[in-house]
Amino acid sequence: MRLLWLELGYFRAYRSLHFEPGAGVNVLIGDNGTGKTSILEGIGYLASLRSFRNAPDASLVADGSDEAIVRGEFTAAERSSLVEIAIPAQGRRSVLLDGKRPKGRAEIAERVALVAFLPDDLDLVKRGPAYRRGYLDEAAVQVWPVAASEFGEYDRVVRQRNALLRREGHNADVTTLDVLDEKLSSLGSVVLARRLAVVALLEPVVAELYGELSERPGRVEWRYQAAGLGEPDRESSADSLRTLLGDALAGARAGDLDRRITTVGPHRDEVVMLIDDRDVRTRASQGEQRSIALGLRVAAYRVLLDRRGTPPVLLLDDVFSELDPGRGERLVGQLPQGQVFVTSAREEEVPLVGDRWTVSTDGVRAA
Amino acid sequence: MFEAPVQKLIDELARLPGVGRKSAQRLAFHILQIEEVDARRLADAIIEMRETVRLCSRCFNITDEEECSICRDLRRDPSGICVVERAQDIVVVERTQEFKGRYHVLGGAISPIEGIGPDQLRIRQLVARIDAEGVTEVIAATNPNVEGDTTALYIARILKPLGVKVTRLASGLPVGGDLDYADEITLGRALAGRQEL
Ligand SMILES: [Zn+2]
Repeated sequence: MRLLWLELGYFRAYRSLHFEPGAGVNVLIGDNGTGKTSILEGIGYLASLRSFRNAPDASLVADGSDEAIVRGEFTAAERSSLVEIAIPAQGRRSVLLDGKRPKGRAEIAERVALVAFLPDDLDLVKRGPAYRRGYLDEAAVQVWPVAASEFGEYDRVVRQRNALLRREGHNADVTTLDVLDEKLSSLGSVVLARRLAVVALLEPVVAELYGELSERPGRVEWRYQAAGLGEPDRESSADSLRTLLGDALAGARAGDLDRRITTVGPHRDEVVMLIDDRDVRTRASQGEQRSIALGLRVAAYRVLLDRRGTPPVLLLDDVFSELDPGRGERLVGQLPQGQVFVTSAREEEVPLVGDRWTVSTDGVRAA
Repeated sequence: MFEAPVQKLIDELARLPGVGRKSAQRLAFHILQIEEVDARRLADAIIEMRETVRLCSRCFNITDEEECSICRDLRRDPSGICVVERAQDIVVVERTQEFKGRYHVLGGAISPIEGIGPDQLRIRQLVARIDAEGVTEVIAATNPNVEGDTTALYIARILKPLGVKVTRLASGLPVGGDLDYADEITLGRALAGRQEL
């Protein structure tokens, strides 16, 4: 998987940028505020149709412009994919894949594989369940692109049910609630089955990597806790999960009507990560947490590499400044390399050999 | 900001579905440049449509008479009703030439986010037609998305106790879109392969 070129127009601080990176490691060196992360953010946007900094679309548009443009061409197995995105300051963005409107995120995910390591990755282990769900869902979409629309539809039905509860409370029409529950259990069971499957793919890889990335070995284990269902069997079929979810929703109905929110379903699930039976979120050292966070990203990379047979594009945004040199080198050792983009303020802290680029607000040039 | 009359037209155009600020400006300036007689014809067409066209008293299709041409057509099979969200969906289903019954336009789909529940749709009127017209099958041809599916399930729950067979278009339609995203061959196949809810 390789990005041939990238163009940014009125994206963040860039009025106009054209960048033709090398096929291997690309080290982008620049002071803070020069926009090197924006370049990675642009590349990430082409692959995932969102900002990896979770920035709302409108904030990506340069001040004084009414539209940002991100364009880029990827190639993998001799097939090229041209992705073009227009992000207006107001209204809906438009996406073109090879000049045509793709059917959804899935079509892009089928063609472009990318994994990003971010400075905030510790959030994945330290912060709330939404961070871990987001990580699992992102990995699932890359492994099974069709999951993108499944997650989208599930999210929609949850928002519909919550809107009904919020607006009507106990006056909500029972039949409407019944059919929303039916829809929620059928879509939710598909989402839940995807989550369990992606957990089954990633957990053993993270467990295996943990010993390599940390100084001390430890037994890594995940517990997938499904809201209202406990810990479902990982082999569960979507059909059996559908029945379980339907029953759990019925059981939670009275409470949901009181609280005016949907408390059962994969949008409320948590995956608890353990090292030697200790919860990583609350009972692990910063070093252990960092090793798990790195393991999560490396595992996603490995699983994608394994599935696609070609290394995904790898983004390492200012990752090495947070790592001691030993851990940084161990990390690099775990990533069989394709095309890599690394940003750093200090050239010497990047333990990778490759093309060096100097980034300023004017653009990118070979160092 | 433009001269008040220009801005007023831009604002009105921008309220139309699928028309953004930029397109509204482009349209307004286009209308400013065309011959006055052409601009008047456009305005007259809008007014004439609104004054003469109304909704069919039976199925809520668009018509210029009491009942629409499909409802008046005695060759149509009265035992089957195809339920659609919007009147323009009727044209899409008609193009497939697969359906010989009549229609019922709901006026949307259940969407609590937009404040649309069953009472905001013409579901009561649909129920009234079942006995009155001797309907035995209702095909839910609502859009293939969450709201359309929810509406189809709702109709099934309401009509099944009345002994009506409620069916849904077979899957295979582009998910998440509107009915008119599907070409007539795909939609025809979805109609032929419809399944009971
Ligand atoms: Zn009619």
